[in-house]
Amino acid sequence: MSFLNDRIFGVLMLLLAVAYGWQAQQIPVSFGGGGPVGPSTFPTLLAVVLALTSLYLMVRPDPDNAWPLGRTLLEMIIAVLVLIVYTLTLEPIGFPIATTLGVAILCWRMGAPLLRAGLVGVCGAAIGYALFNYGLELTLPAGLLEFQ
Amino acid sequence: MDTLNALLAGFGVALTPMNLLLALAGCFLGTLIGALPGLGPANGVAILIPLAFTLGLPPESALIMLTAVYAGAMYGGRISSILLNIPGDEPAMMTCLDGYPMAQQGKAAEALAISAVASFVGSLIACVGLILLAPLLARFALTFGAAEYFALFVLAFATLGGITGKNPIKTLMAAALGLMMSTIGIDISTGSQRFTFGILELYEGIDFIIAIVGLFAISELLFFIERRAGDGDSSVKMNRLKLRWREIVAVLPTSLRSGVVGFISGVLPGAGASLGSFLSYTVEKRMLGSKNRFGEGDPRGVAAPEAGNNGAANGALVPMLTLGIPGSGTTAVLLAMLVSLNITPGPMMFQQHAEIVWGVIAALLIGNLLLLLLNIPMVGLFVKILSVPPKYLMPLVTLVAIVGIYSISHSTFDLYFMIAFGVLGYLLRKLEIPLVPIILGLLLGPEMEKNLRHALSLSDGDWSVLWSTPLSVTIWAIALLGLILPWLVGPMLRRRMEAKRHNGR
Repeated sequence: MSFLNDRIFGVLMLLLAVAYGWQAQQIPVSFGGGGPVGPSTFPTLLAVVLALTSLYLMVRPDPDNAWPLGRTLLEMIIAVLVLIVYTLTLEPIGFPIATTLGVAILCWRMGAPLLRAGLVGVCGAAIGYALFNYGLELTLPAGLLEFQ
Repeated sequence: MDTLNALLAGFGVALTPMNLLLALAGCFLGTLIGALPGLGPANGVAILIPLAFTLGLPPESALIMLTAVYAGAMYGGRISSILLNIPGDEPAMMTCLDGYPMAQQGKAAEALAISAVASFVGSLIACVGLILLAPLLARFALTFGAAEYFALFVLAFATLGGITGKNPIKTLMAAALGLMMSTIGIDISTGSQRFTFGILELYEGIDFIIAIVGLFAISELLFFIERRAGDGDSSVKMNRLKLRWREIVAVLPTSLRSGVVGFISGVLPGAGASLGSFLSYTVEKRMLGSKNRFGEGDPRGVAAPEAGNNGAANGALVPMLTLGIPGSGTTAVLLAMLVSLNITPGPMMFQQHAEIVWGVIAALLIGNLLLLLLNIPMVGLFVKILSVPPKYLMPLVTLVAIVGIYSISHSTFDLYFMIAFGVLGYLLRKLEIPLVPIILGLLLGPEMEKNLRHALSLSDGDWSVLWSTPLSVTIWAIALLGLILPWLVGPMLRRRMEAKRHNGR
């Protein structure tokens, strides 16, 4: 059994605690000083708690969970990329096309046949668009499908 | 008499056609989300939060809908426990023990119907308890000062992992992380910028709705991909329901007793629904002695944890509504909803927003009645949904959540932030760092700091004011116990739960 995950996480969190605590001391104090509890008191307290807990984690770590490797990891990275690209394209090409593509690719990558994935994408986008735009009267970007 | 009048007014709020319709929709959607294997009620409510916002509902309607989702999701979770032996969350584990054997004996429909009746009875008892206890506790809580409140927040974090929680240090760590996130932005009382690094979008701080949807919904998608669970389980079989009145009456005493046990463990800080369902199952097994066939598909073995679980879940609303301190993950998400609707939970809520409090309590009663009526005839439909493979449902659900967030702010910055939270949520779940304390920290951070400020300003910077009254010392002591007890009794309790689960097969 390996205990590396918690140890590494503990080190990272200790670094975060130090950085956060140091940054907290740099917070400019506005006039009057804010009484006995300035803007940096509470953050300093939190940095101490995080530092103590991360030290504990390094000393008494829990056993590791296995990380995904190879194809599974790749599929997960693809899914995150799809979400990022979806966000990027949501405004320029519009909700209907972006959603169709986004849903279709995700379904396909999760193991659905391409044709069915596409169908689910088209239906999902159409129903979603109708529901949001006409049902809830929230304007979603139509993008390329906008008729001017 | 006051309580009764307030409750009647609450029913007036909950019974308007609009709110009734929302409660119905909430129950339906909640059951649907809860029925997805592996998706617990906290995730379900989190995913549906953007929807409540995009509908532009008034606070009481939004809350009524989400309460209904909450009740529905808990019920839906039982469907996958009973039919597939996959608990949606920890409290549902005990339902698998007798529910799954019943399903294997071709009595799945009966098991589901009994769990619906038991859930209803459990919720009913807890609602009565809530109605009686909440106003009293709220009145008592009015005597709390800033120091007591600060201690109470610490107590909430210390006991959040529950007695069955794995590593209390990780809970504490998660709470610190969440609280740290809450300090990002402009400090409300001094106006200083903190940790914004000059990024304009961070001035207002991190919106916890974004954090919730990212941490729960998007990390869930990643877990589905990792488990390669895209195909779902198509081996679900249902039979025709042949339940007689006699059988329903036979489980009533069990449901009543378990509802009470559940409610008590729900109100107590740190006990939570897991302990509620475990305790009621164990107590009931003892009570029935040699007359039980628990573990082999005894209907009472389905009724006990179900009633206990629902009793505990509604019992957890008592500290949430009266003190603003949630007793479970799902109530934390509901609390997030309240705060984002500009309502500060706590004793003052009973005076300032009485219509909301009592409207929600009434909605809980109505929601459970609706669920009972909805579930017995429509259980076949929900079971069909279980056989829709997640590979179609998960992408749709995730993108709906994303668009829901987008339609609140129309800012793509928020969406990138949410995706980042999703990846973070996945990593943290892999490391077994609980997510709920993070959300709770993000939520309660500003309140906690405010109370620390008040207490220390009054004492002119003397920190001992935090533990200077008997009440605050008591609260600190309980908080300390909440951190120590999991070490002492946690492993034992967890082993017993596991052992039961394996013997049950």
